[in-house]
This record gives sequence, structure tokens and C-alpha cells, in this order.
Amino acid sequence: MTKRIPLIARDLKRLYTGFLIAAVLLFIVCSVLTNFNVMTLIANGDAFWEFITEDFLPPALPKADRIPGVLSSVLVTLALAMSATTVAAVFAFFVALFGSERVSPFPRLAKLVRGFATFLRNIPALVWAFILFSSLGIGTGVGFVALFITSFAFMVRAFVETMEDVSQDCVESLQAVGASFPQRVTQAILPSCLSGFLSWFLYCVEVNIRASTIVGMVGGGGVGLTLFSYIKSFQYDIALSIILLVAVMVIVVDRVTGKLRKEILK
Amino acid sequence: MNREKISVKCRQRNRFIPGFLIGVAVLTVISLLYLKIDWLKMASRVPDIGGVFWELAHLDFSNMDLIFSSLVETVSIAVLSLLYSLLLGILFGMLAAKNVFKHPILSAAVQSFFTFLRAVPTPVWVLLMLVCLGMGPEAGVAGLCVHTTAFFTKSFAQSFEDIPEETIEALEVTGTGRLSIFFNAVLPASLGQIVAWAGMRLETNFSECAILGMVGAGGIGYVISNSLQGYDYGTAGVAILLVFLVAYMIERVFVRIKRKFN
Repeated sequence: MTKRIPLIARDLKRLYTGFLIAAVLLFIVCSVLTNFNVMTLIANGDAFWEFITEDFLPPALPKADRIPGVLSSVLVTLALAMSATTVAAVFAFFVALFGSERVSPFPRLAKLVRGFATFLRNIPALVWAFILFSSLGIGTGVGFVALFITSFAFMVRAFVETMEDVSQDCVESLQAVGASFPQRVTQAILPSCLSGFLSWFLYCVEVNIRASTIVGMVGGGGVGLTLFSYIKSFQYDIALSIILLVAVMVIVVDRVTGKLRKEILK
Repeated sequence: MNREKISVKCRQRNRFIPGFLIGVAVLTVISLLYLKIDWLKMASRVPDIGGVFWELAHLDFSNMDLIFSSLVETVSIAVLSLLYSLLLGILFGMLAAKNVFKHPILSAAVQSFFTFLRAVPTPVWVLLMLVCLGMGPEAGVAGLCVHTTAFFTKSFAQSFEDIPEETIEALEVTGTGRLSIFFNAVLPASLGQIVAWAGMRLETNFSECAILGMVGAGGIGYVISNSLQGYDYGTAGVAILLVFLVAYMIERVFVRIKRKFN
């Protein structure tokens, strides 16, 4: 009689089986709830293919007099992401100092600060944009504020975690010799956490490039608005070339931030 | 008495960082000037934000059944797209990983195709799917799947490539086929990471799914944008609160799971 040797540890196996069963159950429940069926996708394959080959390909350039407008809208998107992230990072740095129990001069308030950031973060940027549109009107300024809120909240969390990950000995020993709060920040936290902060900042820039395109679609200006208007007017071939433009923009930014991150973490 | 101060300057500081900070500051100033935001006008309207929040806080539960059904729809779309992309991601991740088939051209082609798909924001895909498939959950699931699959392909391929080369070599020596190497050695070893990635992605998918309604697909986003535009702040307040609660719950559960795995 041959007995098989189990390849994975038994408790791990049980965990994975649990995950698998949960996934299958979720799949069935959700499929029933939404009436979603992959077959409809496959049945629609022809229409799909027709759309891609006839409406979508080949990419067409917008009219010559529109091209400068499209390019400047790309610049608006980039500028929006850049400025909102930087301003948010500066604010997030100061707030994050009060969000960590070990660093903050008022440890009791730390939970409150983090809770506030969690609240801001868990509401998507686009929802913020809609809330702000109804009070501030439509325009780039609102896009800026919406991006600012979400990236601010995200960076508060990331910065607090960075500060807690770094060894606390330095802060503690400075506290023991009687260093004041600003001294602790500039002499212990900044030198050890700055590169971590900047790495998160770069990540946030990457995220915000995408987010500012999306916020633009609903009225924040920039390339998102241009793209949306072409899709709405059924000019899909021009829309495709703008999609390609967005893709190039995102890929270039990702490359640049990747290079910069390597330099910073050296 | 010698009163000379001890230098507290750290000598091994990264020389790149000051330059980087200055560069960022300059770029930001240029960006702000380029955007030409009318700050005064914005500031004069800031009190209105308080008004809107005051209105939002007057929760109106009369449309609860509509809100609840669209929330369930949104969550289901997020979960379904996650599960479908999980399968597709493992498949394409297998093709994209350099150590599974040892076919550099294949993996480079798959990688670059998905880099393109990943670079385009999700709502764009959903909008295009809406055009092809019409309104309904299909467009939402398919559109979300495009981006999620692209994300999974990249991250799974990375996890697969992290498998030590020795494991694969040992199996190669015994004459195991490439597919069975993948299913018996590479995939089981990266299961933990796959679960972690999936948890992280569920969070993103939910918030993306919640905004899809705003560009025209159904779900909770449609309820929010519709009621905000119709000045029905009470309903919007309830919907936003529910979105927040679900997102927060997913985050907490995910933190738990992550702790268990570590």
C-alpha cells in the first residue's frame, strides 16, 4: 500500500481550504445577486470585436487646432497631481507627528487624529469631488481640494506607520535627556524617516496621476474631461489616442518615480 | 573649559534628498501657478462646505431599500471582479513570470501589454465596456476586471519570480513538466502572497466600484451622484456613510488577516 506524503503542513492546508470554500461561496452568492454570467460576455463577443475593430481602431488624432488644447489638458492633470500631493504631504507630515502615540506631545489625541484620517481616507476621491462640486462649483480648484483630502489622509496613515516602524530608541533616548518636541522631531524622526516619507510621497504622486484623470472626468478639468467629452460624443478613435496618451503619461511618471525612489532609498 | 559643541550632524546623509526636495518645491510652485486656481473665490465659498455637510448629516432613511440594494450590487461587483481577475491573474502571471516557462519573449510581451492596461484608469475601461455591453453589472465587472487582472498579473508574476531557483531546478532534474512545476511548486509557495494581494485589491476595488456609478454605471455611486445633483442630501448622506462603513470594515478585516499570516 502506498501512502502519500502530504506536501503542505496540515494547518496551512486547512487555512487554504477555508479560503477556497469562502471564495466559491462568495462567487455563487454574488453571481446570484447581480445576475452576472460570463456567458453573456462570450455571447456578446461579436459586438465586442466589432466595436474594437471598427470604432476603436485605428487611433485617430483630434483635429489639428484641438491638439494644443489636449496637450495643455495633460499638463493640467500633471500639475494638479503634483501640487495637490506636495501640499498634502506638508500638511500630512505635521499632522502625522500628532498621530503617533510615541512621538506626539499629546498621546491621548493620537487616536483621534488617526480616526479622523481614517474617515477621510475611506471615502473615495470622487465622492469628495461630488460633495465639493455642490458647494464650491465645478473647476480645477475643486479637483485640487478633492485630491488633497484623500492623499492627505492616506499619507497621514503611511507616515504614522513609517514612524512606528523605525526603531523608537532614538526618540526615547532624546526624550530621556530632556529634548523638546521640535528637537525630537528634527534630530530623531526626520533623519531616520525622511527617506521613508519621500518614498510614500512618490507612491502618492503615482496614485494621484490616475486619480486626477478620474476626478477630471466628472468636472475637475484636465485630460480626463477631454477624454470624457470624446467618449460622450462617440468619437472613439480619437478617444483611443487620448487613452494612449494617458497611458504614456502614467508609464513615464511611474518610471521617473521608480528611479527617484531608488536614489532616495540608497 | 572647552565649550566646543559636539557635532550632531549625521555624516552618511543621502546627498540626493536635498536636491530632490528643492526640485519638488519648484515643481509644485510652477504647477500651482499653471493651474491658476481662483483661491479667493474658493475661499469665499468655503462656508458653503459646512452647509453641505450640515445637510448631509440630516440622514434620510426613506430610500433605504434603494440604497441597500445598490450597495449590495456594488459589493457583489467588487467581489466578482476580484474573483474572476484572481483566476485570470494567476493564468497571465504564469505567462508573465520569467522562471515558469523560461520564454523571455513571451513574458516580455505579456508584461508590456498589461503595463499598458494598468496605466489606463479603471473608469475609462468601464465607460468603454458600457458602450459595448450596455448598462448593467456586466459592464462593471468586465471593466473592473481589466484593471484588476493587469494589477494581479504584475504582482503575481513578481511573487512567482521570488521563488528560489533551486526549487525549480530540483524539479527540472526529476523531469517534471513545466506546468506541473508551476502547479506543484511555484503556485503553492506564493499562495500566501496571493491572498495578501487579493485582500489589498478588494479594498481598492470596492472604492473604485463605488465611484463607477458616477461615470454612468449603476450601483451606490449612481445613488450618491444622483441624489447630490438633485439636492437630496439626506439620501446621499446615508449612502456615503454606508460606503465609508463598508470600506472601513474591509480594511479592518484585511488588517486581521494580514496579522494572522505574519
